[in-house]
This record gives sequence, structure tokens and C-alpha cells, in this order.
Amino acid sequence: MKSFSTGFPAPMTERRRFLAALALLALPLSARAQQRAALSPVPGVPPAPTLVLPDMDDKLVDLARYRGKVVLVNFWATWCPPCRKEFPSLGRVRKLFKPADFEVLAVNVGEDPETAFSFAGATDFPILFDRDSPAMARWRVNGLPSTYVVDRQGRLALRAVGGREFDDPAIVEQIKELLNRGRTR
Amino acid sequence: MPMSLSLSLIFAFMAMHAGACLAADDLEWRQHATQGGVTLTANPLTAAQRTAFYLARGFTESAIRPYAQACGFSLGMRNAGAGSVHTKLADWRAIGTDGRSVGLRLPVAWDADWARANVLPPARVAFRWAQFQAENSFEAGDWIMGMATLESPLPGSFRIVARYRDDKGSHEIVLHRLSCAHD
Repeated sequence: MKSFSTGFPAPMTERRRFLAALALLALPLSARAQQRAALSPVPGVPPAPTLVLPDMDDKLVDLARYRGKVVLVNFWATWCPPCRKEFPSLGRVRKLFKPADFEVLAVNVGEDPETAFSFAGATDFPILFDRDSPAMARWRVNGLPSTYVVDRQGRLALRAVGGREFDDPAIVEQIKELLNRGRTR
Repeated sequence: MPMSLSLSLIFAFMAMHAGACLAADDLEWRQHATQGGVTLTANPLTAAQRTAFYLARGFTESAIRPYAQACGFSLGMRNAGAGSVHTKLADWRAIGTDGRSVGLRLPVAWDADWARANVLPPARVAFRWAQFQAENSFEAGDWIMGMATLESPLPGSFRIVARYRDDKGSHEIVLHRLSCAHD
């Protein structure tokens, strides 16, 4: 290595190497990653753990405020290739439902707002920051990306480990089912 | 180079290589094994690749050197079956052609090194989540990827024997003809 930079973002030469490494990290599963899959039911449908984290503007956002909506909670990082791949589908799926019924919360792990913004830009949904990953621990997340869907009653209904396309018809149908199930109760 | 252009190039690079992977699946993909509904994939990572990745995450070059110089891989595991799959990295072994067997160094062991080296928390968080996790549970359709290293290097070719269990019992899936990457 030519330098010993510890800062972020890295100098461009290091950035290029980093991006090449990132691409290489993505290679083995990239083909398989394109296979589509639905979300898995969470056994027992337990209450969602607490989630209170700062957003891009450093304002605290509490999952509890969304009670009555179905909420898709996605744990991600900019350096995680499948996270980057699935991220645009978060915005797409959010647009398929009424804001009064459905929300997306994207929980960035370990990074700062500038880094997240440089990748995500301005989003229609909140990006929250779990800098030291205590929320990851509470939610028992065991890999990135991980996603949970919280039902209208604030319970963990669905989950996924690994990348998905959230506007996949199978997943959209699962969300619709949760929305309808909540209405009938 | 503007950041947006950098990202465009990297996505083009990734897309190009995704196509190459598809072709390689059809021809020869030595670091790819499937058993039942479980697929295990490995790709050797050079020291330069890992150094660049972790420098950009806040490590110093001296701190990350032991990790970067260890025999390391990107590992991926997918559950395309119908049931749950569970695996512990501590149960995996790398076995050389001479029969010598070594384990994979667990992320927690590396993290202890980072604590002793006073690596900053954001870098440690990134490291933790960039690793193939020590314990994984995969539901149908789940997959995960991450980096891992051998406890000590093996000369020449070796195989990784990955153990996992599902509702039918314990199983092994073997990746053959692996070797450590060199810069």
C-alpha cells in the first residue's frame, strides 16, 4: 500500500482498490443473488424490539410511532454489496402502498450520515443510524442485509437474511396480506 | 473522478463480473459447491484487497496487516431448500492435501485483537459485520456472505469442509481445490 490513511473516505487510489475488493466480494453469489425469494414468517410473531435511532438530521425516530402501519425495517451498510443492490427496491416498494398504511425504515449500521447520503441520496423514507450496532444486537440481526416486516400490531411478522427485491410480486403479496390482516382485526 | 462516476464504474464492473460468474457456473467454478438446497461459495481474497477494504473502513494499515496477510476468503452460503439450515463456523475445517487440518479463525478472536490494538469502534463494527458470521441460521431463500480467514495458512491446495444441520440431521458440504490468494 502506498499510504497509511485511516480516514474516511479513503484517497482515490485506495478507494479504487476498495471498490475492486467490494466487487470481488460480490462475485461468488452475484448470479445466485438474482434469484428471487419471498420473506420467511417469524415463528411466534413476537413483539418487535425497541428501535429508537437518529435519522439523517439527528432527530430520534421511534418505531413505536408507526404502530398501526406495516413497517419494513432493513439493516444495511454502504459497503455491503447485496445491501446496495436491494436498496433501490426499498423506495419502489414503499411507493406501492399508501403512506398511512406502510413505511420503510432503513437502518444503516456503523456509518455516518454523509457516507449513507453519498450512496442513497435523498430518500422518501427515513434512514436511521445504528452507529455502534446496539439495535442490531437487540433485533438479533446476524448478517447484512437483514430485513424484518413489523405488522400493524408492532410484531415481527416476516424476516429475510440476504438480499431481496422488495417489489418482487411475492413480497408485495406478503405485505398486502399483512395489511389486510390488520384491517380485519 | 467524481464519486457518482466512481459508483457508476463499480456497478458496471460488478455487472460485468456477474455475467462472468454465470458463464463460470456453466463451465468451471472450482469454489462453488451445492448439496441438496445448500450452496457454498468461496473466493480467495488477496492482502491488497482486504487492506484496501478495511483502510476505507477506518483501520490503519498496521492494524489490519495480520488479517490481510492471513489466508482469507469471501464466503457465501445460500439456502435454496424448503427448511431451515444452521451452521457454526467453529465446525468448519480446512484440510490440506497432506491431511493437515486447521479451523477458521472466528470473528470474535479478531475483535479481541482489535480491542488490544485500540482500533476505533466504527472500524470494529464494520469489520464485525463484513465477516462471515460465527453462527448462521438460514430460512428458505436466505443467503449470506462475508469474509473469513484460516487459523493458519495451508500450503498448496486444500478443501474446506463446512458442516451444517437441517431438519434431516447434520451434513457436510465440501469446497475442493482452494488455495490462499497471493498478491
